[in-house]
Amino acid sequence: MSAVVSPIREPLITGHKDYHQITEDICAPSERTPSVAWVVAFLVAVSLLSFGIFCILWTIWFGIGTWNLNRTIGWGWDITNFVWWIGIGHAGTLISAILLLFRQKWRTGVNRAAEAMTIFAVLCAALFPGIHVGRIWVVFYFFPYPNTRGPLWVNFNSPLLWDLFAISTYFTVSLLFWYTGLVPDFATLRDRASGMRKKFYNYLSFGWTGAAKHWQRFESLSLVLAGLATPLVLSVHTIVSFDFATSVIPGWHTTIFPPYFVAGAIFSGFAMVLTLMVITRKILKLEDYITIEHIDSMNKVILLTGTIVGVAYLTELFIAWYSGYIYEQFAFLNRVQGIYWWAYIGMMSCNVLSPQIFWSSKMRRNITVTFLMSIFVNIGMWFERFVIIPTTLARDYLPSSWSYYSPTWVEIGIFLGTLGIFFTLYLIFTRVAPVVAIAEVKAILKSAGDQYTGEAMKKSHAAHDSHLEHGH
Amino acid sequence: MNQFTLVGRERTILFSFMILGLVCMGITFIVDDEFHSRFWSNFLHNSVFFTGIAFLALMFLCANVIALSGWHVVFKRLWEAYAQFLLVGIILMTVVVIGVWFHAHHLYHWADAESVANDEILEGKSGFLNPVMYTIFSIIVVGVWYFFATKMRALSIEEDGVAKYDFSIHKKKMKTWASWFLPIGGFTSAAVIWQWIMSIDAHWYSTLFAWYCTISWFVSMLCITVLTLIYLKSRGFYEQVDANHFHDLGKYVFGFSVFWTYLWFSQYMLIWYGNIGEETIYFHQRLEQYPVLFYGNLIVNFVLPFFVLLRNDTKRKMGVMAVICSIVLFGHWVDYFLMIKPGVLHTAHELLGHGGHSALMGAAEAIPVGHQVAADAQAHAEHASNFVSGFSLPGLLEVGTFLGFAALFVFFFMRQLEQAPLVPERDPYIDESLHHHVV
Repeated sequence: MSAVVSPIREPLITGHKDYHQITEDICAPSERTPSVAWVVAFLVAVSLLSFGIFCILWTIWFGIGTWNLNRTIGWGWDITNFVWWIGIGHAGTLISAILLLFRQKWRTGVNRAAEAMTIFAVLCAALFPGIHVGRIWVVFYFFPYPNTRGPLWVNFNSPLLWDLFAISTYFTVSLLFWYTGLVPDFATLRDRASGMRKKFYNYLSFGWTGAAKHWQRFESLSLVLAGLATPLVLSVHTIVSFDFATSVIPGWHTTIFPPYFVAGAIFSGFAMVLTLMVITRKILKLEDYITIEHIDSMNKVILLTGTIVGVAYLTELFIAWYSGYIYEQFAFLNRVQGIYWWAYIGMMSCNVLSPQIFWSSKMRRNITVTFLMSIFVNIGMWFERFVIIPTTLARDYLPSSWSYYSPTWVEIGIFLGTLGIFFTLYLIFTRVAPVVAIAEVKAILKSAGDQYTGEAMKKSHAAHDSHLEHGH
Repeated sequence: MNQFTLVGRERTILFSFMILGLVCMGITFIVDDEFHSRFWSNFLHNSVFFTGIAFLALMFLCANVIALSGWHVVFKRLWEAYAQFLLVGIILMTVVVIGVWFHAHHLYHWADAESVANDEILEGKSGFLNPVMYTIFSIIVVGVWYFFATKMRALSIEEDGVAKYDFSIHKKKMKTWASWFLPIGGFTSAAVIWQWIMSIDAHWYSTLFAWYCTISWFVSMLCITVLTLIYLKSRGFYEQVDANHFHDLGKYVFGFSVFWTYLWFSQYMLIWYGNIGEETIYFHQRLEQYPVLFYGNLIVNFVLPFFVLLRNDTKRKMGVMAVICSIVLFGHWVDYFLMIKPGVLHTAHELLGHGGHSALMGAAEAIPVGHQVAADAQAHAEHASNFVSGFSLPGLLEVGTFLGFAALFVFFFMRQLEQAPLVPERDPYIDESLHHHVV
């Protein structure tokens, strides 16, 4: 990071904080009794979670027939939700790893929560491949280990298996990356705590003392993990796209899928981070650390990735026409004008058209608009997966097997359940760990605090310059 | 030393290379087949390659403005200068366009009216693949890009005259123009690439193709930046550019070489796995008939930069960077060679073989001997896979042509560099760039 900072840059920490104040502000939420809002939210989340577990048990007990899947449409809400959650699980590691490699200082305000979100979202996603196979008691067949089933081995040629490897690797590295960052912050909490809490955080912080040697190892480990995580971020959604694109189904088999899925994943991940951060910063009073400048930057990423996804949609449409291949042309005509036309409209309007308002910096800096947009994008990206999966399957090569699909209460219940899991874990996280990375925010204070940069710096520079002139 | 001027020796060298290029093109034209396929494909190949580099310079310049990037500012005039080459690009592509209209060349199967009439698929695409659309995308769209290039350049020079800490031009104008260009460039470039390159294999299609080409251009642009900086430093300019800037440029070359490979793999693997004849033919042809280039492409553009630039220290050494960037630049030129040449050759054979075939068929029915001739012509057309000069591998004439175009590119952007100070003293981020440290 360059020591010199241009006065054109906006500060990323406001309120003239000093180091102690940063510790106080960020540790405070985990040191006071939960607010009423937190308790209510937690109860709602746990209720959803319980209902989700009930629906999963229902599925296992009565079988996959409790879902509305049929011979033609073999993947419905299950895989749609799976891809949606995996996509959301992208932004965390993206913010942390890629932005760390690019030395983007604004990552420090949001990386902790985003990484936590990644882990929770991947957990939600991992649920679906497990339950959608129906007979959950043979789910260990997924894993390639020496077995007694003779030639019945996992199919190494299948992208579904690559997916299993990709996601488990990604989850492991993301978890390590997240936890590495947490170690010094847990130590900070430990030093302020007493009694049981002290023991708990002592255990979690691995005996961190803040010695120079610790910091040195911390820095190298972070960089190595960031280097590993960056290709992993790309690989995970690439392989999810392979689940579809390696097939020969028109509408699925298209080469743009890998980068387009990655762009879409970053898009939806950022949207979910925004949804969470807009609320979190308000309730935990972290507006000085997650500033409008952070929100502005994230909205720019939303605009960029939304537009990239838009280029990909139009490319697919155009090339379908250009290919001269009637099945390909039909697949896309079916998306736009077929039985699920409303899903296509939902996808286009939420993902491509509505983010265009972020060309205006006023909109990017408006909290209400940002929050609404983040919800829009979450919905739009869910629709995108729905458009790709059931819409394509509903109209296959044989018109006699054309079909329609809508979910049962069990499928909806499982989806709500994953939202419950996600929010339950997130709410626990906000109580247990610092939501903003204390050590990393402190590291950028001198180059991004509002008493050192922006207008303040411009003035001091001007004074310095005039001083020099007088000197001459 | 903030004012660059071309010295006599540089002019002599650059003009010699340009003349070498012209001579090579002349020889190619003479030794060519009756369609002059080799000459025209070389012309298209180099025009597309360098025009694309100019386009990517403009894209990256605008992206950096929008991303509030500071480190590159000290040498951003280079990218402004590269982008001006779009003007030459328009002129070069106009030549190709005229060729399309007057059938001076047979680079594009879709430009042959008779083929289109007898080919359902080409007919289906004729709404997009036709001389009018080709003209619009090659001249008008690239003209719009050039307009933005001149605008960004003019604003940057205008900024040299403002007072310190006056960011009005940057905030109000430069950002606006840059943000307009990104979507315009992003959306239109895909169609331009489909027209210029993908439509050479007129039946074939791949949705990823435009992104793949773009990244190939981008890596080439970065390599040229590194090479230019090293040269200008050797002449005593840009002493402010140090190992830290090279380190970051090296990271970009490394990262985007990996990304290029990612796109290469995604496109190849999905087509291989799907195993649909209409799609696999593209790679089948290249694997069977161009194996050296096919694998060489991956070795030069992935394996080499990956292993060399993975280390921290190599990116900071100008010698290593110069060698790697020269090789990778040539590697991406070969990548374009491999995208363009097989399709052109195929089209030429198709037209030559097809024409010969029908002409001979009448004769064949009259005399039995003629039958043999027709079969031979057929066989010749099918087995033309054997070595073809200037197609199977880049020959000396191709390399000479490349050097000629490269000299034209260098000469043109150096003329641009002469017209303004090398370092933009009043850019808001200049201090960050001058004190850039890579940890």
